[in-house]
Amino acid sequence: MNATDIQIAICGSAGDGTIAAGDILRNAVAAAGYRVICFDVYPPEIRGFGKCISRLRITTEQSYSLKRQSDVLVSLDDSHAIPHAGEVRDNGAVIFESQSIAQCGEGEHMSGHVLPGQIPYGFPMRELAQKATGGARSRNLVVLGYIAGLLGLAPTSFQRIIEKKFAKQGPAVVSRNQAGFQAGFDAGAGTFKLDDVAFGPFEKPASAGKVIMLSGNAAVVQGCLDAELDTFFGYPITPATTIMERLASELPKRGRRLLQTECEISAIAATIGAGFAGSRTATATSGPGLALMAEMLGLATMTETPCVVFVSQRGGPSTGMPTKTEQSDLNAALYGSPGDAQRIVIAPTNVEGCYRCAGKAFEMAERYQTPVIVLLDLYLSNRYETVTLSESGSPFVLDANKPLRRLEPGEAYQRYALTPDGISPRAVPGDANCMHVVTGLEHNELGRPNDSAEMHTAMSRKRHDKLLGALEHPDFTVTKRFGDTGKVKVGILAWGSTFGECLEAMFMAQAEGIRCAAMKVVMLSPFPEKAISAFMDDCDAVLVPEVNYEGQFAQLVQGVLARPVVRLSRVPSSPMPVELILGEIRRLSGVNA
Amino acid sequence: MNASASLATAPRRYVIIGNGVAGNQAAELLRERDPECQVTIITNSRLLFYNRYLLPQLFKGHQSWHAFLANPPEYYVNKRIKVLRDCRVVGVDTRNKQVKLAHNEPVSYDALLVATGGRGHLPEELVECRHLFHHFGTYEAALAMRKALPEKGTVVMLGGDMIGLDLARTLLSIECRVVLVTHESTFWPHQLAPGERADALAALEKMGIELIDGDARGGVTSVEAGAPGLPGRRVIFRQGGDVYGDVVMPFYGLTPLVEFMVGSGTDIERGLLVNTGLRTSDPHVYAAGDVCQIWSEQDHAYRFYYGYKNVRAMGAVAAINMTGGHEHFATTQEETLGRDGQGHIDSPFWAYE
Repeated sequence: MNATDIQIAICGSAGDGTIAAGDILRNAVAAAGYRVICFDVYPPEIRGFGKCISRLRITTEQSYSLKRQSDVLVSLDDSHAIPHAGEVRDNGAVIFESQSIAQCGEGEHMSGHVLPGQIPYGFPMRELAQKATGGARSRNLVVLGYIAGLLGLAPTSFQRIIEKKFAKQGPAVVSRNQAGFQAGFDAGAGTFKLDDVAFGPFEKPASAGKVIMLSGNAAVVQGCLDAELDTFFGYPITPATTIMERLASELPKRGRRLLQTECEISAIAATIGAGFAGSRTATATSGPGLALMAEMLGLATMTETPCVVFVSQRGGPSTGMPTKTEQSDLNAALYGSPGDAQRIVIAPTNVEGCYRCAGKAFEMAERYQTPVIVLLDLYLSNRYETVTLSESGSPFVLDANKPLRRLEPGEAYQRYALTPDGISPRAVPGDANCMHVVTGLEHNELGRPNDSAEMHTAMSRKRHDKLLGALEHPDFTVTKRFGDTGKVKVGILAWGSTFGECLEAMFMAQAEGIRCAAMKVVMLSPFPEKAISAFMDDCDAVLVPEVNYEGQFAQLVQGVLARPVVRLSRVPSSPMPVELILGEIRRLSGVNA
Repeated sequence: MNASASLATAPRRYVIIGNGVAGNQAAELLRERDPECQVTIITNSRLLFYNRYLLPQLFKGHQSWHAFLANPPEYYVNKRIKVLRDCRVVGVDTRNKQVKLAHNEPVSYDALLVATGGRGHLPEELVECRHLFHHFGTYEAALAMRKALPEKGTVVMLGGDMIGLDLARTLLSIECRVVLVTHESTFWPHQLAPGERADALAALEKMGIELIDGDARGGVTSVEAGAPGLPGRRVIFRQGGDVYGDVVMPFYGLTPLVEFMVGSGTDIERGLLVNTGLRTSDPHVYAAGDVCQIWSEQDHAYRFYYGYKNVRAMGAVAAINMTGGHEHFATTQEETLGRDGQGHIDSPFWAYE
């Protein structure tokens, strides 16, 4: 069987329906059984400006990142798509409007930018939309039909998705969009195909669970729901907003609460308050919001209050680049509170990981009585993947929130008792015989203010040591090694969304005969020192690719382990290119491409 | 640098409409003669320049279009020749020196070469049946025809110009049946005396081609889709009778592709009229290949020159003159229809490099 591995990029202007086209396409191919990774890039402006790109990689086998080169590029707006023409591989297809109605400046049409090795497909998408639907708004549907017809994809799954997507707008809208799709499909099927982009024969594999298409943020929401999140407090910010949007519709259906607060400070304060009251609770934000939450997070650490903060990183500092991905909030997540305010920081590496980390974050927050930051980024939040979820109920521990033990009448309750593992008996307001003081001041075991050196030292140690248990948290992948076993030339150490690109690069390097391995580091705090150190022992060179300028993770590794690593720190406003990582692997292994 | 100095040093912009032998020969020479210039080829084809003379080889085992390319894609990158593919020219504004494309984009030129060649001519009475014909002028058309033709199937050729007869030789070699409905365009562009024509027709029969005297039947009046159980097409003659084939192909010679030049102000008869330097009546517009009629001092008339050698030479002459040269086109193409050792016809128009 020839494995399918096709990447399609749809590029247009805000308002062209670019993202909507990508959404229908990814859902249609996923429904047909293919694995999909999709990442949308859109401008900060709402409409009428800026570039939108929806890139989808469609495979029969699991893939881990987008490819550098697309197989098909569709232009819904040449002014935006022309700079991307070079991203299409040789013998790939470039699809564009052949009969613009507006005057086109010289050199401003896609046909002049199709490279000699690529195959141009100009077709009258506007005219077809006009004829089929009476308007040009369905151009994106016409284009989808053209892609399906040209590549020989069955129209049925598209038709089903279109019907579902537009059902709320009434049968006339559904019918118009179906007509647009069909017109494009007929045009595509009737086009002489010269490119070599082909879907291989494919049998839908028997799945071990439910295969669904989710974005990273949608997976976070699903994880929250499956972990039985009680309350959510948030203030909108790109790219975290969709977490709150989805929860806003889902939580009330389950009799649970969501409150949009007036700012991020209120959001974290309310979250901590809910956590104190025994609610399974969370908030979501991005870098600027995390900065505002820094002080209150220190309170959660000091009061040992469970709460979960989802942080989706974007380009910074300050307002920065709200619609561009980056991994530059690691330091803020690790250290961004005054005092020794250590907390658990975990970073999923793919969409399925978003689901698992979301659910596990609540277990950890409650078991270790601490804030947990789940560090996402725009690439992960907005990326769609087909994921396989268990059909046998929630995989998360749902009772971690229960008080650790019940006191007998007359027994003195010590909320901050110094225990061997640092975890004290937790009580929530209303628990019998468990009255105690809670304060942001340093305190003794009863919670009463105490600033003696001995108590501060003991409590600091307690707050630090109790987190170490998270390194062995049940059923949670703290780190995982891939690739060659034993000694390798190059080891790649990566975190967050960049790990997918690292894994692709590692596979490509292995195919070139380079012995290499990759380790994903999901838990960033507490730092999994032993596992990373053991991995580094096996590597002649350790490469740390990450999408930030200062090499924040590399600094963390070097700071803790005092061992050299090779930094690959870039801020390309987009995911780290696989070829860049591969080039570094080659260089470090002494192999020239 | 002031504006006038900038204009003085701006590279010249050469635009070529047409992606065939003449156009590509011209592009190569333009690059050689003016290394700094901009060369742009405009074509409605999706493919880069490929050798149409080799298309009959599709019947000698399937070949991808890559095998027919005259040059690899890197050639265009290295030579800095820009090719606008899948673009239809709708007009030429000679006053503003701009080519107008169907997608509403102008392409400016300092010198323009029209090398669009010709399309297969179809007699007026058959135009309404054109969707029932198969063609062989492009890779796409040739492949579609090959797919439509069953093994040892029957091809009915109408007319039978030398392009069609070249294909007929290949079809016979793979044991297809070829039925030729003769017409005055049979053997086009060779012009045969009556006696020569009879000999040539006899040679065709000797090759294995079945002949139907089209004139004697009053010509073809229409083509129909074949009924179920019968071959795909039925050719009906004006004076009665019919012939069936799996595919029907018209080979009535070529008509120059000049429609987009109408209204440009350049002189057009059947093709674009050019002097022996291949310049049209517009000093910035040249023409080469099957699209142009060249002035012949000898005949005191404009005439077409066909064949690979002629077309290639025209591309070269045009390029030289567009870059300031003073070359004149003179044909070296042999035009006599000959015979090979087996007594089969052999045309110099079938020869190519």
